Amino acid sequence: MSEKISYTEAFEELQLIVSEIEQGEISVDDLSDKVKRAALLIKICKTKLSTTEEDVSKILKELESEE
Amino acid sequence: MPKQIHDKNVFSLLEVTKSIQKTLSERYKNAFWVMAEMNKLNHYKHSGHCYPELVEKQDGKVIAQLKSILWKTDYLNANDKFLKILKEPLKDGIKILFLAKICFDPGYGLALNILEIDPHYTLGDLEREKKETIQKLQTEGIYDQNKTLNLPLLPQRLAIISVETSKGFADFMKVIEENSWNYKFFTFLFPALLQGEKAIEDIIRQLRRIKIVASHFDAVAIIRGGGGDVGLSCYNNYLLAKEIALFPIPVLTGIGHATNETVAEMISFSNQITPTKLAEFLLQKFHNFSIPVQKAEDKIKDKSLRMIMDEKTRFHSASRLFRSVANNSINQFKNDIVNESKALSHHSYYILKKENICLKTLTADLRKDTKVHFRQSSLLLTQNKREIAKRLPGIIESKTKELKNIEKNINNMSPESVLKRGYSITLLNGKALKSIDKLKKGDVIQTRVLGGVIDSTIKSIDQSDKDE
Repeated sequence: MSEKISYTEAFEELQLIVSEIEQGEISVDDLSDKVKRAALLIKICKTKLSTTEEDVSKILKELESEE
Repeated sequence: MPKQIHDKNVFSLLEVTKSIQKTLSERYKNAFWVMAEMNKLNHYKHSGHCYPELVEKQDGKVIAQLKSILWKTDYLNANDKFLKILKEPLKDGIKILFLAKICFDPGYGLALNILEIDPHYTLGDLEREKKETIQKLQTEGIYDQNKTLNLPLLPQRLAIISVETSKGFADFMKVIEENSWNYKFFTFLFPALLQGEKAIEDIIRQLRRIKIVASHFDAVAIIRGGGGDVGLSCYNNYLLAKEIALFPIPVLTGIGHATNETVAEMISFSNQITPTKLAEFLLQKFHNFSIPVQKAEDKIKDKSLRMIMDEKTRFHSASRLFRSVANNSINQFKNDIVNESKALSHHSYYILKKENICLKTLTADLRKDTKVHFRQSSLLLTQNKREIAKRLPGIIESKTKELKNIEKNINNMSPESVLKRGYSITLLNGKALKSIDKLKKGDVIQTRVLGGVIDSTIKSIDQSDKDE
């Protein structure tokens, strides 16, 4: 994923776009951009659901250095 | 019997201890109830007997202590009752009410022989501890602290406090790892004992380790399973409860028991009865995230398509409207043109007619004027004719005179008249000689005079007059 965005941010932005589209606040001109953005956010959200990127060795190292 | 040594009555130690034993057994024939704190249970697995250390404290200081004996049979009885009523085994550090007899053994000394322990007293004491813990947390204002934290929308990274080999941990991992939606969690195990006295210290130690790397985790899950309802009183411990209450990230509990909630569970961010339930709770969080995402996807698809359709419809109706408006407008223009051309032809005809009338008038005028003009000219001509007739004789007379003068002059200039007057004409080769230049000696010239012609040959030429 090219964009570093937290799932909370992605989720909130997605909800915003949906409500904008629902309330008809988006013109046909912007629709394509918004839909593209939404598709990206959906992809991010779905990827978040199915992946974790935690680095175990980093955790262990931090534990050792503090103990 | 005492011996006589140096005039002294001397008892052997055994005699003394036997005496004490006799006195005590006579004095303390009956068993009696005692209330004490059991500092250490001292259970010997090999023999099955226990040798509890009993103390009484005042302001934290030991003011009384005594050894005790709990024989295997009595221990098993008491322990069963505890497990039934307290859900806890007999353990170190609890207050007990027990039925005892004083016993004194020459070999082992003074001790209380515990015959029976009343679990209700200890239960009350544990309840009191629980209440005290709650009250303390409330007084300090930290009772709800962990609950006020935010659990991320997707609690994905979990620090787990559990025992790797426990059934609860296995249940938990199975549910979150084998979910059919392919949701992924990151889990990191911080192993600790989860029941009994040691659990307090162990869990606190692991919580403190997690605190160091808390930024890597979304929540801590304390998972215990397989222990039934036994050994839960540690979760009422004030120090452990405080550690949980003040923990910087949400603490989730899945301790797995059917009895009353412990303080640790009450103050945790979220308490699920079993490890499985806790795993389901986390999966539910994923669902709560996933379903709106799915819905958003559908909605965006639907709405976008509908918007495009609406725009198409709008465009079609606009273009239809445009066509009809344009047609109307064209028709209007056509009508206008027809009307204009009608008006034009009408006007042209009218003008033509008017001009025609005008022309006819002019023709008539012209004819009339011409007649007038003709009559006038004719009159003038007649007048002129009369005038000419009147003047003509005078003019003829003067002209005749003029003509006679001219005739006279011409006659005067004729060659006969000239010759008569004595002049002659010299001819060379038939042509009148007008200059001396063309003459040379020997030339034959003709001289014409009145009455005839003389031929002469030139003898000499005198040009003396030439330059004059």
